[in-house]
Amino acid sequence: MAYSTRAVALAVVALMVGLAAGYGLAAATTGGRATATVTVGGSVATVTVPVTSTAAPAKKVFSIGFTLPLSGELSSIGKIWEKVAQLAIEDLNREVQAYGFNVEFRAVILDDGTSDEKALQNVQSFAQQGIKVVIGPAASSQVKVVKSYADSNKIVIISPSSTAPTLAIPNDFIFRTVGSDAGQARVLATLAYQEGARKVVVFHRNDEYGKAFADFFERYFKEVGGTAIKVPYQTGLPDYASEVAALASKVQSEGADAVVLIAFDTDGANILSHAAETPALSSVRWFISEGPHGAEELLSQAVGQFASKVRLLGTRPLFIANPLYEDLKSRVAQKFNVELSVFCENLYDAVKLAGWAILRAGTYDGEAIRAALVEVAKTYYGPSGWAMFDSAGDKAQQDYGIWAIVPGGPKGYQFKDVGLYERGTVIFLERPYQ
Amino acid sequence: MVPGMQQVVLNTVQYALFYLVFSIPLTLSYRTTKVMNFAHANFITYGAYTAIFLHGVLGLNTMSIAAVAAFLVAGSMAVLSNLLVFAPLQRRGSSLSIVMIASMGLWIVYKYLLYIVTDIAHHYTAKNFVSYGRITYVDIPRIVVGGAELSQALVAGLAVASITIASLYVILEKTKIGRAMRAVADNPVLAEVSGIPRALVANLTWFICGGIVGVGGVVWTSFSGATTPEAGDSMILQVFTVGFIGGLVSLLRTGIGAVLIATIENMGIALLNTYLNVPVSFKPFLTFTTLIATLILFPPLGAGGGLPYRFLRRGSRR
Repeated sequence: MAYSTRAVALAVVALMVGLAAGYGLAAATTGGRATATVTVGGSVATVTVPVTSTAAPAKKVFSIGFTLPLSGELSSIGKIWEKVAQLAIEDLNREVQAYGFNVEFRAVILDDGTSDEKALQNVQSFAQQGIKVVIGPAASSQVKVVKSYADSNKIVIISPSSTAPTLAIPNDFIFRTVGSDAGQARVLATLAYQEGARKVVVFHRNDEYGKAFADFFERYFKEVGGTAIKVPYQTGLPDYASEVAALASKVQSEGADAVVLIAFDTDGANILSHAAETPALSSVRWFISEGPHGAEELLSQAVGQFASKVRLLGTRPLFIANPLYEDLKSRVAQKFNVELSVFCENLYDAVKLAGWAILRAGTYDGEAIRAALVEVAKTYYGPSGWAMFDSAGDKAQQDYGIWAIVPGGPKGYQFKDVGLYERGTVIFLERPYQ
Repeated sequence: MVPGMQQVVLNTVQYALFYLVFSIPLTLSYRTTKVMNFAHANFITYGAYTAIFLHGVLGLNTMSIAAVAAFLVAGSMAVLSNLLVFAPLQRRGSSLSIVMIASMGLWIVYKYLLYIVTDIAHHYTAKNFVSYGRITYVDIPRIVVGGAELSQALVAGLAVASITIASLYVILEKTKIGRAMRAVADNPVLAEVSGIPRALVANLTWFICGGIVGVGGVVWTSFSGATTPEAGDSMILQVFTVGFIGGLVSLLRTGIGAVLIATIENMGIALLNTYLNVPVSFKPFLTFTTLIATLILFPPLGAGGGLPYRFLRRGSRR
């Protein structure tokens, strides 16, 4: 009896440890690290141990919440974002101290598993901690879920990557440091048409992002004279082999000449690697949204070879030839040994904007910070370009780049920006796949 | 004829093989130990991640080695789960549902444990283990059928499924320990009274079941374009559906269930999509309609008849 009681107790303890690890891990590890680094260089010379700052004259600490996709369907890029977020917080602290502010910004990072419900839970727990500014969530469907809670509790949400045009709503607490997909859909439609596609199957995520993107793509592709057939797929599956088989049937039965894929990273990589094994899908062109850009799984041999075979081209929000972007890219590569993925620069700017808006507001209050954020962004220029917001709180000036997957780099294949969109046409800076 | 039918057929076969390898051990472990084990999902994932870590950290791309390692890892995991959680609960007379809920707890524990390990591995290698691309193995023979080369996953899946079925047949029908396993499944008390070491049989069953599922997980890494620490989780409901079709008793009917669910999920949706324009995203709807129909038509536990003793005995001979 005693033995079994002990065993049960052990099981319960194991359970608790698991749960605690699940909820607390991301926050605990990252929060701790951020704290340790940012307090270095406090204004009082006697402060030798950075964390125990009891001797310093009350340095004001502001917490910025992060709800990031460290697991789930955006995890490949989420992992890179976590590093960029840390770097941005370090830079921000160094900058405000250089301006003489006796303040410190602290990152509280939570994982939302790319899930809508967890993103909402995270924002709610930020609210309970009194945090008024939250960076993220990443996906549009998540932003949609947290929106009403954020609005009614006056929490400023700055998403670096939500692009669904349906969320371009004025006077709310949602800001996006990236342009809406109404713009990107036009670029992708132009790209596909310019490359010779006339009848395309749009294979898209059946969620807020995928549906809105597909609708706008269809509209613009029709405008330029093409035909688009939309095929949605269920998200969150372990594998997409049967979806890809159905896509192949559709492409053949419709006689389409190209596939347009609107995906995130895990699903995108999965779909591309199955498409690589399907002859019917290897003989048409492929065009792709920004979602999977930067995900390591796309650099596998199977996907790399497929990319050159179908001359895969993607679009993504990017300010081409920005020295600040290049600087961020090299610093991240040097410090963390990773390549920048899509939206890293938008995330970096979101952190900087949040920090300066908190200082400009003068008070840690949602409404004041919201008003200050709009003003700060007007004169802020960062790795993602000029950050000014439009009336809906989205990035007003958004440029788009064209990317490809080409041989090279340590993994055998690498992402490369090969062109840009300028006044209604796509201009190639170089021709990949020749 | 649906265009692209060839691919649909190949996918059906591939999925049938996966469901077979994942759900036969579920049925076997349930009927021997009476644990409705949700941590079964973790055996799949841990098997896959054994191969992924061997590939990502050590650069190993030999499936046979990965399969042996995965068998040991997932098999030991299953034994540990039994020793630390299931067996103590059962000794205290916990009901089936209590043990089942404990297995759900274990499921979560194992999942986050894997996230911790992937984070540590990521820290040291700068590789992304939270979503890992398909692995191409060097030791899988190239097989060409009718001018088309079979994918690695299909070749490996066929091999693993045949070996599994053959060895389970031999173990269960021809060996003393297999007869002991069947005796415990039929009537644990009677088996114990007649001198069969029940605890040992249970642990051995767990080891074999966990191990087989782990090897299936290795095959998964040669199939899926991106494996995540939740790969097994998102498959567990299908695997349980297949198990329920077998009533969690009959191995033969579990096999039929695997083929049935794979056919519905692949052929069914392809036909519905082509002829009736049903969106592909309806796939899970079909699976679970089948599950509910099976449970309603054949209570209490699906087509195998489930728990009543006479069904147990009949089923276990199949």
